[in-house]
Amino acid sequence: MAPFFSLSPHHPITRLPPDMLSVIVRRLVSLPFVLVSVTFLTFIIGFLAPGDPILTMMGNQRDPAVYENLRHLYGLDLPWYEQYWRYLQGLLHGDLGMSYRYAQRPVSELLSGGVAVSLSLGGVALGLSLLLGIPIGMFAAFRHNRWGERLTMAPMLALFAIPSFVLIPILQWINFHFYGRGWPSLPAAGWGTPQNWVMPVIVLAAGNLGYLSRLTRANVLDVLGQDYVRTARGKGLPESIVRTTHVLRNAMLPIVTVIGPAVAFLVTGAFVVESLFSIPGVGFLSVQAVQQRDYPVIQGTVVVLTVAVVLMNLATDLAYSLLDPRVRLDR
Amino acid sequence: MKDLTHANLSRRSLLAAGGALLATPLLTSSAPRALTQDAGGGPIRWSLTGVSDLVSLDPAKASDQQGFTVIAMLYGGLVKLDAKLLVVPSLAESWSVSDDGLTYTFTLRDGITFSDGTPITADDVVWTFNHALDPKTGGWTGPYYFTLIDGADEMAAGTATEVSGVKKIDDATVAITIKQPSAYCLSSLSAGPSKILSKAAAADPANEGKVTSGPFMLKRWNRGQGLGLAPNPNFYEPVTGVSELNFIFNQDSETGYQLYRTGEVDILGSSQDPVPASRVPEVQDSPDFRSTPAFNTRYVAFNNTIAPFDDVTLRQALAHAVDRDTLANAVLGGTVSPTERILPAGFPASDLPITGLAFDPAAGKELLAKAGIDPATFTFTLSYGVEGDNERVVTVLQSMWQENLGIAVKLEPLELATFSSRLNDTYQDPTNGLQAYYSIWGADYPDPQNFLSTQLQTDVGNNNGHWSNADFDTLTKEADTTVEDFAKRADLYNQAEQIAVDQVGWLPLFNAKVNVLVRDCIEGIEVTGMDYQFPEWSALVGCP
Repeated sequence: MAPFFSLSPHHPITRLPPDMLSVIVRRLVSLPFVLVSVTFLTFIIGFLAPGDPILTMMGNQRDPAVYENLRHLYGLDLPWYEQYWRYLQGLLHGDLGMSYRYAQRPVSELLSGGVAVSLSLGGVALGLSLLLGIPIGMFAAFRHNRWGERLTMAPMLALFAIPSFVLIPILQWINFHFYGRGWPSLPAAGWGTPQNWVMPVIVLAAGNLGYLSRLTRANVLDVLGQDYVRTARGKGLPESIVRTTHVLRNAMLPIVTVIGPAVAFLVTGAFVVESLFSIPGVGFLSVQAVQQRDYPVIQGTVVVLTVAVVLMNLATDLAYSLLDPRVRLDR
Repeated sequence: MKDLTHANLSRRSLLAAGGALLATPLLTSSAPRALTQDAGGGPIRWSLTGVSDLVSLDPAKASDQQGFTVIAMLYGGLVKLDAKLLVVPSLAESWSVSDDGLTYTFTLRDGITFSDGTPITADDVVWTFNHALDPKTGGWTGPYYFTLIDGADEMAAGTATEVSGVKKIDDATVAITIKQPSAYCLSSLSAGPSKILSKAAAADPANEGKVTSGPFMLKRWNRGQGLGLAPNPNFYEPVTGVSELNFIFNQDSETGYQLYRTGEVDILGSSQDPVPASRVPEVQDSPDFRSTPAFNTRYVAFNNTIAPFDDVTLRQALAHAVDRDTLANAVLGGTVSPTERILPAGFPASDLPITGLAFDPAAGKELLAKAGIDPATFTFTLSYGVEGDNERVVTVLQSMWQENLGIAVKLEPLELATFSSRLNDTYQDPTNGLQAYYSIWGADYPDPQNFLSTQLQTDVGNNNGHWSNADFDTLTKEADTTVEDFAKRADLYNQAEQIAVDQVGWLPLFNAKVNVLVRDCIEGIEVTGMDYQFPEWSALVGCP
């Protein structure tokens, strides 16, 4: 997904101010074309992939009359171009179709709850990793080759390296021992209370925290070596001003670049976290839809994520040009 | 109890006021809830594993085991199973069978009502069967479970507008006519979509699960999270020992286990998703842990339409080369029981002995030579669905066939949906189908017919390997239509099973176990090879 939408770091640099409105309009106009190509690809891949949603639903039971009836009911007996055309027509009316697995429930209804949950959970986790990761990365960079850097970067590397399916059992083991001793403990899984957020947010934030802190450190170190920083220091500017206005602002650019895709990946990347904590998000729903060949739900997820990624990239580009007036958004 | 509640409300007035309809269950449950508190039974929290949500609470549309677990709590059938899995009365208080064995006449219990207080009548029963078979409903379990009923196939195919075999005699009497005398007719009516729905309430989809004929009724459905059920005060055998029944959806059985051990879940596990095998050593000494053989069998089947698998000698050679004890006890750590037969242990007719094709590499080699197969040049592909322990099992089979017969077997892992469509292709077009596959069958209802006739009779829908044996067909068909004498039926099935084992219709490997956790303080739940049974609803009591 990333190659389609991620911001190229090689934007043309001119002195012209960005014409934001026209950029926004152009991006939004291109959205339907992006959607058509993405849904067509998903549709045709699903159509060509082995497996049959009705057979999957029916398991080992085989009754040709019932099978044909169900195929007809779901429109699967139509030629592929007609199935796809019908889907596009529905999409134009904001109708994402009906789920095969969930007894003809509307896909929009299935997805709306899940997307809200995944986005809010992912948003909190991303916010937390930014709030902690950037200061930690700066701290480490300013203490380059000293104990301060080693003590912070080693655990950050560990967080970045540990996959969530390893971190989750560790947290649950600790939690269980708290519970066994009668200490305050957290719910092992579930959704709906503030306590339910703690463990999933920690797990989701951990990997990003490790990544963002290391990225910040590397960027800050890079900027610290630039001529203009040496010049600023040489001019006798206080170190605090050098660090905030000269170093941090310039070091932020690559970080802003990764936030957009990171939001999309927080939604899709929450598969493991959502299934191990029984969170009703969009991640598990879409994995299950693939297993069940529930094409309308797969398509719906793709549409929602495509829109989210396009909008997030737009927001990123706008933020980018605000941070660096040299950047001009083009095309 | 029914007299307390809706004597003053007609069905029509309830329908007229949609809001009142939704509020009614809450109002009516207040009286029995007071009783509940006296009995001291608290809520029961039950983990449903492997799902993030249920397909539907309409028995005709549901297709997932987890959904049917909940549906069994919400709706009553004409008959049900007791702790020994024998058919006993439920909503029907009695029935009679015509002399030709074709017509079952059920008499409903006197004065029974749905949870909203409206009477359960023969019209509802007739509508339930029509609904389950109606192509517009979009389900498949009705046509599968009710295929025995006269006119069911026509209804399912859309060539009839009602099921000719289900007739109302009077308000409290229904006659069901079947195509051939069948001892398993009643058993199949205890399962799947045969739960009685309210015809009137079904007009509004918002009533799904709320107007019920069973021990509980739906209070809330938190999409993606779980369900809350309250006892149905209008049930003929009201549950008074449980304040609330909460189902919690967990996608992963390990998650369910974490909830159990931090005190957030009271019931965990099923035959399909048992307690995680790695956790069994931690809990097997706990009074909460219960284990019983599951009514399912894992097996390998061969494509009997293509050479050389059409040669029984080769199939027997392959069977003799499999060391099931090592597989079950060493490889799978004793979480399953090895078997050389088709019917699972404890299943009806499984008490009659079968002589299996035991592990005997020498005999295997001899048979292989007799089949004229040179292990140095012969190879075949074993296909399987990627799920659970399947990878480990087929890898062990591969090494056993290599070691004991010298045959190099190729393994073909298939993602589950692909596996199921390849099985279908194999059934439709066997000559281009899979050579051999590793699969499972679990009981829908406790009758040998469900294991032998539906799996291995010539060309039946589940017989993907197209194994065929005329004697097997004759014996099972006779047993299927033998009604009165179970000992005679069991003997016929036993002879048929012996043929299928000798001729390797299946190469049976092992039976799983139903390993579950049920808090010791919960009373009135029996764990059987077909998961949970509730012999008497009034005896169900939650923890204090």
